[in-house]
Amino acid sequence: MQAKTMGQRRKGLSLRGREVFSGFLFISPWIIGILLFFFLNLGQSLIFSFNHIIIDPDVGGFSLRWAGLSHYQHILFVDGSFNRELAESIFDMVINVPLIIFFSLFMAILLNRAFLGRGLVRAIFFLPVIMATSAIEGSLELIMGMMMGGVTSVPPEIMRAETGFDATSIAFMLSEFGMPSQVIDYIIEAIAMLHDVIRASGVQILIFLAALQAIPPSMYEVAQIEGATGYEAFWKITIPMVSPLILTNVIYTIVDTFVRSEVIESTRAMMFTTTTLYDGTSVMAFGQSSAMALVSSIVACIVLLFVGWLISKYVFYYN
Amino acid sequence: MTAELELRGADATPVKKKERKLAKRTKKLNRSFAGTVFLFLFISVFAIFTSLPLVLTISNAFKPLDELFLFPPLFFVRNPTLSNFSDLFILMQEGWVPFSRYVLNSFIITGIGTFGHLMCASMAAYPLAKNKFPFQKVMFSIVVLALMFSPAVTGLPNFLIISALGINNTYWAVILPAFAFPLGLYLMKQFMEQVPDSLIESARLDGASEFYIWRKIVMPNVKPAWLTLIILQFQGLWVTTGGVFLRSEELKPLTFAINQIALGGVARAGANAAAMLITAAVPITFFIFAQSRIIETMATSGMKE
Repeated sequence: MQAKTMGQRRKGLSLRGREVFSGFLFISPWIIGILLFFFLNLGQSLIFSFNHIIIDPDVGGFSLRWAGLSHYQHILFVDGSFNRELAESIFDMVINVPLIIFFSLFMAILLNRAFLGRGLVRAIFFLPVIMATSAIEGSLELIMGMMMGGVTSVPPEIMRAETGFDATSIAFMLSEFGMPSQVIDYIIEAIAMLHDVIRASGVQILIFLAALQAIPPSMYEVAQIEGATGYEAFWKITIPMVSPLILTNVIYTIVDTFVRSEVIESTRAMMFTTTTLYDGTSVMAFGQSSAMALVSSIVACIVLLFVGWLISKYVFYYN
Repeated sequence: MTAELELRGADATPVKKKERKLAKRTKKLNRSFAGTVFLFLFISVFAIFTSLPLVLTISNAFKPLDELFLFPPLFFVRNPTLSNFSDLFILMQEGWVPFSRYVLNSFIITGIGTFGHLMCASMAAYPLAKNKFPFQKVMFSIVVLALMFSPAVTGLPNFLIISALGINNTYWAVILPAFAFPLGLYLMKQFMEQVPDSLIESARLDGASEFYIWRKIVMPNVKPAWLTLIILQFQGLWVTTGGVFLRSEELKPLTFAINQIALGGVARAGANAAAMLITAAVPITFFIFAQSRIIETMATSGMKE
């Protein structure tokens, strides 16, 4: 019997070999996907960032003309707005990410408790994610416009209202009551900030909820039997058990705020516009916007790697 | 809750103290009514913030046209009517692609995309979290990097790749990239990290194959994770309009049709409000359904260490 199993094992792979093999097998669909949709993308963008993209209306395609580092030179040293936008975006990120993380963890802990209508309230906190889609937002804009007295009479600032209850209407109300404008400004800023934080926390709350639910209840039971207070249980059980997902959420939030940031907005806006070169050929600004995307991605990556490294030192894995 | 406790503590005798301790303990298990009310109020404040757009959407969908254009605007509907929905269906019948086709397209894209992503992400996450194999660290860093490199700024390369694959103007142009969505993998990996190694080792010793371990041990133990992933991916795919990839009208998803109605402007206001409610209702329903399936897992319940 013993000999037989030994023989069998010698024929096949070793345990270690099997582990490696199955590891690659499991991960291969992913690798193919990432090669196709990430590496090719990255490579293509890199090539574009070093070239002028000249549209050829006769053929219906485009051709590339080597531009060297000129796109990079332009965005970093000639064009004033890119640097400023990038700095602002990073600064916003630094302020918003901790706020969003604290708020979403706090909300997740509250929503994890048992109370009537819990499922509904959880859905409500996920609503901003659902409603923040282009189709729904476009329709909401139309409706807001109508509610404010017909589409034509509405200035674009009001049209852009994202909810039925935006900061502008509150400001209007308060100034009618005779409140000093500095106070109103402060309140508006606070509300707008709160609103932004809540809007950006939907996914994070959901991830934290899942993390909280993955904590075995027996741990809390033991803590309670041993006489730990709720405060102790939070710091000694909840936080360590949730910590891997704090890392996930921080990384997700950084990416999410970055993707919505001003610098990406302007990159995207620029992408399909055309500019004219000094010799009169019309080129697509995709080359320059690729350079912008790459530079800002690299900067954001550095932030991401630093923050990730910092947090992962404190992450506790149950094993 | 605290006030009550302090009142009791005022005339604390040793016996009372013991009683108080007992009361405290039971309180921790079932919170008092006042505590619940406070909690509920606190959550409500934030909930009102986020639910306003939806309330507005629902209310608008049932408003008759005269109320939709009323100034100053009404927040709640006064004379609810279903005429907006019938308008929408009449409008949709006029189009040469039936409304049901858009709905079907949305479900095909969302369904296959979500399922495929769940499979890819959770299978790839398992070895990343639990096996040791070469380039593991490198691969994981690539995942994080891929998260960063937003698809929003890679419009042109993405289009070229999709065209080169020959899947342009098919469902796959939208579905396949969704499979490789990096957040899902990251999420699954972090959760699988928490599954006790000893559980997997014992299964391995009992002769279970890696696939069996993944399906029967790891996946049930990270149920909250993959339900969350399904919710996120469902939401992400439900809202795609197909963009430049789905050019044939009969392949376009529901959100595209809704967008078209919204572009119709004031004349389509009623139908637009109804269509918006339908678009929003599906992911909300799905969310409530999926969330209710998430219950506490028992990863360590069978363990004796």
